Amino acid sequence: MIGPTPAQMNEELRLFQVRLAEGARTLQGLGPIETGVLPRDAVYQEDKLTLFRYQPRVATPHPVPLLIVYALVNRPYMMDLQEDRSLIRGLLDAGLDVYLIDWGYPDADDRHLTLADYVLRYIDHCVETLRARHAQEAINLLGVCQGGALSLCYTALHPAKIRNLVTMVTPVDFHTPDNLLTHLVRHVNIDLLVDTFGNLPGQLLNFTFLSLSPFRLAGQKYVDLVDIFDDAQALKNFLRMEKWIFDSPDQAGEAFRQFAKDFFQQNKLIKGAVQIGERRVDLSDIVMPVLNVYASQDHLVPPAASKALASYCGSRDYSELSFKGGHIGIYVSSRAQREVPPAISAWLLAR
Amino acid sequence: MTEPRETGFDIALLLQQARTYLAFGEQIQPFSERLQQSMEQGGDWGEALRQHFEPLKAALAEAAENPGGHPDLARLWTVTLDTWQQTAASLGIPATLAAPVGTDEAAWRDYQHVQGDYLVLLRQAARDALDLMEQRLGERAAAGAPVETLRELYNLWVECNEETYGRMLRGADYGALNGRLLNALLSCYRPGGVPA
Repeated sequence: MIGPTPAQMNEELRLFQVRLAEGARTLQGLGPIETGVLPRDAVYQEDKLTLFRYQPRVATPHPVPLLIVYALVNRPYMMDLQEDRSLIRGLLDAGLDVYLIDWGYPDADDRHLTLADYVLRYIDHCVETLRARHAQEAINLLGVCQGGALSLCYTALHPAKIRNLVTMVTPVDFHTPDNLLTHLVRHVNIDLLVDTFGNLPGQLLNFTFLSLSPFRLAGQKYVDLVDIFDDAQALKNFLRMEKWIFDSPDQAGEAFRQFAKDFFQQNKLIKGAVQIGERRVDLSDIVMPVLNVYASQDHLVPPAASKALASYCGSRDYSELSFKGGHIGIYVSSRAQREVPPAISAWLLAR
Repeated sequence: MTEPRETGFDIALLLQQARTYLAFGEQIQPFSERLQQSMEQGGDWGEALRQHFEPLKAALAEAAENPGGHPDLARLWTVTLDTWQQTAASLGIPATLAAPVGTDEAAWRDYQHVQGDYLVLLRQAARDALDLMEQRLGERAAAGAPVETLRELYNLWVECNEETYGRMLRGADYGALNGRLLNALLSCYRPGGVPA
């Protein structure tokens, strides 16, 4: 049944237009949108990579540093989006010493970078930097999404350098039936794609993500924006997310070629068939404690894709943390702030 | 040191979707009016819904068949193709009828053909969404839970489209077509890269 009369609908449309006009002016006056709020220092740089140390928030942080390896897709400031939405803040407050790799923006000079460059050179150099700075044999590693897959590769190849491994919303089995990204990538001619563009354009990634839910992400979201036009804080929150969503670096061509073909199309990670440089990745070589954090409503990395790690890693101290939310909510929702950093910190501090 | 990239909010996107919402409202009004008249005359709700929803479906279908006639309304369900074409344009392949300079003409024709196939799938999902919306309106009426506002109707429309689109997205046909679409686009580029 439809309740509103045509007159009521008219009034609703009139009010919508009034708010839209007012809101457009408000939007233009908001100024630049800041992201990444916590103070941090660059401690290592190599090519376009910067390794940041976040300033500790306790007098004596835990002696074993935590290195966060974010995905190559999108930007890592999602981990510290704003004052009250910062997973990193939660980790610092719990007494951890937190470092993060910012991969930068690959350009034409980087098209020949391979996964071996990322795993055996960049990640390894960051790990070595932390081992030396903190005089530790092994450090803690936290890999996020695709960064989790890279962290799994690194840890399997250098298990002695990693004390504890945390994976967050990390795909392991890329061929679970509900994996939409694999479904979309499966028939793409990856060689033609990389040979044509050199690097994978970030716009193509944006389209892929939008195409998963276009009516909400490219339509309804903007109509709903009218409802928060008089709330500057809510508006800024929206714009921060918007900035992050469309801040999509291009992907270094050769690394993308291998990741798309070996991980998405051929599911080699769980088959023990991924080659990083000259070395084969065997997940059973991951024998240190592992915490696998996944989101129960994740539409990009389905829980089953993450939970497969339990069957393939060699750790006898394997735990899972299920977060009730989605792939983005696990970083930025209020619930995530309350639940995720304390759980990760407690798990790490106990080991 | 990495410099943050400026990715300001595109207000044009907001205004475009607002116009689409307003166009949706304009289409819904006569439907609502006729439906209420039928009910005031003591008509059967289910029959009235079926009768008056048909013109609404026809109007939306017409807008999609001929997007130039009512682009704001057509955008309601060409959003995916629009986004794709904007992406392709940003990569040097604009949505023109003639092959852009620097592209392979045969490959361009094939790309147009695949885009046509893509639109067929999207149209079917959109038609299914309108059927689903009609069904949901009927269910709400039966449950005594009327839609109270235009925005609620719009949200129901979005929900139905997401549901039918999602089913299409998960199907084998879409996976294959998505690959064909990108591969066809890539084939338009001559060796040596992106056209100017």
